[in-house]
Amino acid sequence: LDHGHALHATAKDWLSSIVSQDVQILAERSRAIFRTSENDPANHAEHHEGCHYSIPLLEVKAVFPHGLPSPFQQQIKTFNEACLMVRKPALELFAYLKSSSFAHPAIRYVIYGEKGTGKTMTLCHVVHYCARQGWLVLHIPDAHLWVKNCRELMQSSYNKERLDQPLQASFWLKNFKTTNERFLKEIKTQQKYAWGKRESTEEGRPLGEVVEQGLARVRNASDAVGVVLKEIKQQCHLGSFRLLVAVDGVNALWGKTTLRKDDKSPVSPEELTLVYNLRKMVRNDWNGGAIVTTLSQTGSLFKPSSAYLPHELLGKEGFDALDPFVPIRVSNYSPREFESCYHYYLDRKWLQHEKARTTEGRDELRFLSGANPRQLQRLAGPL
Amino acid sequence: TLRVIYTTTVVQRKNVAASGPEKYTEAFIKKQIEEFNLGKRHLANMMGEDPETFTQEDIDKAIAYLFPSGLFDERARPMMKHPTEIFPEKRKIQWGEDGRPFHFLFYTGKQSYYSLMHETYGMLLNAQKYQDQMTAQGFPPEKEKKNLPGSRWLTKVELEEMLLEKLSDHDYSRFIQLLQKLVTLPYGNVEEKYMQKFSKEIATQLQKVVIEPLKYDEQGVAFSTGEGQRKTARATAVVYDNGSGKITVNGVDVLHYFPVLQDREQLLFPFQFLDRIGKHDMICTVSGGGRSSQAGAIRLASAKALRSFVTEKEVEFMRQAGLLTTDPRLKERKKPGQEGARRKFTWKKR
Repeated sequence: LDHGHALHATAKDWLSSIVSQDVQILAERSRAIFRTSENDPANHAEHHEGCHYSIPLLEVKAVFPHGLPSPFQQQIKTFNEACLMVRKPALELFAYLKSSSFAHPAIRYVIYGEKGTGKTMTLCHVVHYCARQGWLVLHIPDAHLWVKNCRELMQSSYNKERLDQPLQASFWLKNFKTTNERFLKEIKTQQKYAWGKRESTEEGRPLGEVVEQGLARVRNASDAVGVVLKEIKQQCHLGSFRLLVAVDGVNALWGKTTLRKDDKSPVSPEELTLVYNLRKMVRNDWNGGAIVTTLSQTGSLFKPSSAYLPHELLGKEGFDALDPFVPIRVSNYSPREFESCYHYYLDRKWLQHEKARTTEGRDELRFLSGANPRQLQRLAGPL
Repeated sequence: TLRVIYTTTVVQRKNVAASGPEKYTEAFIKKQIEEFNLGKRHLANMMGEDPETFTQEDIDKAIAYLFPSGLFDERARPMMKHPTEIFPEKRKIQWGEDGRPFHFLFYTGKQSYYSLMHETYGMLLNAQKYQDQMTAQGFPPEKEKKNLPGSRWLTKVELEEMLLEKLSDHDYSRFIQLLQKLVTLPYGNVEEKYMQKFSKEIATQLQKVVIEPLKYDEQGVAFSTGEGQRKTARATAVVYDNGSGKITVNGVDVLHYFPVLQDREQLLFPFQFLDRIGKHDMICTVSGGGRSSQAGAIRLASAKALRSFVTEKEVEFMRQAGLLTTDPRLKERKKPGQEGARRKFTWKKR
């Protein structure tokens, strides 16, 4: 009897293991449709289009301390992994970056598209790629944060007409430090900078010191940012490193601000130190890198919500300043991308509703979200 | 002589309720008829028509012209009709000068009702006798011919009007039972003429909604149009076959025109009901109303357009789901003395 029992038990175990293997194989096969194990953006090719690739969480903290949009950050926390979809605009950008020669002046790329189609995520994808390649990444997560909601505006000590924003500058410096630690040690200053009567940075000191100075003395943070940008720009053409200037919401640099001076007169963007220095960076009078920017209507001021084209959001001034540039259009999900996103949510067990798993549920989601990534993400939340 | 002493008002007050409904005397009715005819001739004279050939329709038109009224209820407007239509028929006095009633069933209380029952039962007995005679002679009983389904018996109210006296529900049901029995008898059709007095035709011609056939445009793609409205919004929708679920409203994509999820869900409903979410394209135009009413109008229009693509059974399902009915709700009128349609002014105790 015991013998029979043991046989029976082993047979059952063997059967169950086979069944689970089958299930696993099936799951993996379906996962293969919308996931790829290719984690290096440099190797992403056309056949990876529509697939999600994951970024290790440590890299996320190192490369994107402030770059990812907040819904995506919450998603990372929930799913315990950061998965990005490979899409055509990003692949296009990679092709351009790979084929561009760095002896020529930096090419400007403007990513534009309707609201919620994935411009910021494309930018983050590019940033990840360049970080992996070893470029120096100058990532400004949202330029709109610099032209609105600023509590402290100080008159700049360097130039009397300009205004400083110590809080935003120090916040950005902190994040910049996390991303590009090793470069800060390598790059040396080429000039002496006096921060005040008693403090100064000598020539030949590593840039890290400038950053420390900015973080320690918050009053000089904006000037520290300006110094950093100037140094990087000057030394880029030497060729020791490649520079990527990634600005999200670049239309903020040429629009209006909601800030006011003490005498209630409106502040124009040129009067802000941060914006002034950033504009200098975005000009293509340097070589050895690339400038990738995104237009954003969501944070923009005084622009209608249906505007998404470059000349609408940038205005005449901005368009002239950014001209010539390579426009890259980001649109809603194609059917394949939609399927991929849907299966990803299913796999992560994000869609809990029973009807969401059926074909009708999928068609409903596609109809209601209109294949717009942001709408889909917001719809899938309560389900 | 007796002097009038102060008496209580109770005695002097006229008891209005006990006197019953107003009774018109015959003379009064006659006078009204004379006045009506005179007035008709005067009216014809005023309007320049011939007094002899002045019909009731002409009277109605003339009155509507001379006394234009903006009142909504037809019965409240000025009218000039024959007195028999205006004054309801009243019972004449049922007894003669000697106090003796005319009808033999007067003391039952409901004389006309009981006489009617008596008559009908007499008919029933006649029919049975006739049937017995026919079976005795050897003719087989005729097949029962059912009443056409297009007729119904008189309602209680109509019967009351005919008999000029009040009935109870029980009385009425007894009468209808008698009539039914008479109908089911084999030779009951002999009394058909008598029964026709108590039956009415129902309009069997129901309005059949015509489903339009599919139209084909240049590429050969089938399409169909539908119109819908809700509150003040009017919408027209053109639904094309072989589509991908794309919807354009007034030239703008649906995501841009209806940023609210609720409106998009309303648009989704007809397609989801028929399981045709990704199969049709739609181009619609809408005007008037607000966000929600425009969405409702487009929903109705698209449901009406989808009828052409779908079997009759599914059309019936749609109708029962309420997809094909125009929502009759409109903004309610604000009344005087109130702040809104229902909201009253704040009530102050003093």
